[in-house]
Amino acid sequence: MKADSIGESRGVLVKMVNIHKWFGKVHALKGVDFEVKHSEIVGLVGDNGAGKSTLIKVLSGVYLAEEGEIFFEGRRANITSPGDARKLGIETVYQEQALAPNMSISRNIFMGREPTKALGFMDKKAMDKASMEALRNIRLDVASPDLLITVLSGGQRQGVAIARVLHFEAKLVIMDEPTIALSIKEAHQVLEFIKQLREENISVIFITHNLYHVFPVAERFVILGSGEKIADVEKKDTSIDHLTELIVREPSRL
Amino acid sequence: MEKQQFLHPKVSLAHFFHYRSSSVFVVFVGLVVLFSFFSHRRFISGGNLQILLALGSEFNIVVLGVGILMISGEFDLSVGSIVVFCSFIFIRLFEMGMNLFLAGLITLGVGAILGWLNGLITVKGQIPSFVATLGTMMLWRGMTLLLSQGFSRSFDVMASPTFSRVLTGVIGGVVPVQIVWFAGLALALGLILHFHRFGNWIYATGDNKNAARAMGIKTDRVKTICFILVGVLCALVAMMQIVRVSTFSSRVADGWELKAVAASVVGGTSLMGGIGSMVGVVLGTLIISAIENGLVVLRIPYFWTYTVFGLVIVLSVLFSRYVEARKLKHISKPSETSPGET
Repeated sequence: MKADSIGESRGVLVKMVNIHKWFGKVHALKGVDFEVKHSEIVGLVGDNGAGKSTLIKVLSGVYLAEEGEIFFEGRRANITSPGDARKLGIETVYQEQALAPNMSISRNIFMGREPTKALGFMDKKAMDKASMEALRNIRLDVASPDLLITVLSGGQRQGVAIARVLHFEAKLVIMDEPTIALSIKEAHQVLEFIKQLREENISVIFITHNLYHVFPVAERFVILGSGEKIADVEKKDTSIDHLTELIVREPSRL
Repeated sequence: MEKQQFLHPKVSLAHFFHYRSSSVFVVFVGLVVLFSFFSHRRFISGGNLQILLALGSEFNIVVLGVGILMISGEFDLSVGSIVVFCSFIFIRLFEMGMNLFLAGLITLGVGAILGWLNGLITVKGQIPSFVATLGTMMLWRGMTLLLSQGFSRSFDVMASPTFSRVLTGVIGGVVPVQIVWFAGLALALGLILHFHRFGNWIYATGDNKNAARAMGIKTDRVKTICFILVGVLCALVAMMQIVRVSTFSSRVADGWELKAVAASVVGGTSLMGGIGSMVGVVLGTLIISAIENGLVVLRIPYFWTYTVFGLVIVLSVLFSRYVEARKLKHISKPSETSPGET
């Protein structure tokens, strides 16, 4: 069955097969299979310590799995560092960690990948223009690319982080708790950004505790519990109550 | 062009205060006016300015490096010791009869190595640079004392008049060449800091190391390069100093480490990294040298110097904090989305 689905991977962007990860004696991931289709938004949910972040860090190259394989666009991918993942088009947006607060929007968007003119001097005009374009694409309206991140709201900051991955033509965006510290209004804004990503044919993995945030935007839900996949359901086959029940019912083994 | 109104209000004074360095500039101008007035303009006489800038440039050049290093999020308390150690290396090479330009190159190399060591200990050893360079501060000063036995050694300016002219000459009989070094280095480093991609990496590294790393910036390398820069500048200054006074002294550059940090902070550089500017650092260090010189011109006993330093440091930082807070209020009001913290 495994071999079949890889063979006919039309529509599947990334496929993780039988992923195992240990931290010392702790078996954090116990043979998880996980896939994301092209321009699909997948909600990855589960309680604390379920293995969500571990799974995603394997995919983004932060952790190396002891066992298992990753296929990207049908081909076996060898992801051993965040750089490898980024080269494939896998970008991660971490809550609040991705931006330098005392730098401008455009300097943040191009951090580490600055377009240059002669001798490595930055092409500021190109940076500003592309930044404003990327922000417009996710419908985030800011006054100037020179604004410092500190003066932006939490939602706007998330928007800048998302605009950054959009500009660099990511194929898959991993969002780790993108709404966690935000007000209701700001969280709503971030959900709108995520919908814009799908319009740009970008796949999204949305990791969260908050089913109320993920339910309206995701098309499919994968539930992890104690390092195993508990459920993998399409939105049409489930509801918030049903998902909650699945998460809660999972017997906690300590 | 399409600048937003709330960022660049029509009121010119508010516009001026938009820049963090502007409050530093006010302090600088205030001090100059004060010193000029009380010294009956002796402070701004050509003769005094020449002395102030020629002498001050040695310390000022070191501060350029320290300021950049602080923006990258690290300290170097060993600057004074690197200067004295490099002085010793240079005087020994001179005594060996080596061509001074070659000796100069080697001295710069030694400075680079000492800076690199600071970086290595900090980055690879994962020791706070405050502690790491506190150690190397004592180490290199101690080594110099051991090797020189605390004796002064003399240097002959005529050994190579060209070499002396390059470091301490006077252009057109008016402008000390040290000022040209200081201004040139400030300009070059300022261009790199603010317009080169490496400058962007320095700010990113100091502002949010994890973010910079996640975006593929090699933060350890960025920091190490900043440490090396400081070392090289110290070596250059060591030679300037020797040529100017024709003597090696194991007491040279004593106490510069904290004065350099003070100059950077007065210039608006954050102790936490990520904030600061070349204009600010230049003004900050000019303020420190102006105070040192101004008190002499005013014939105020030397013992007052540190008292005044202390007052100026505390007051100028409070002043810029006040301006900053007002500016934030100014910006966040019309945009209606103010950040939680101030």
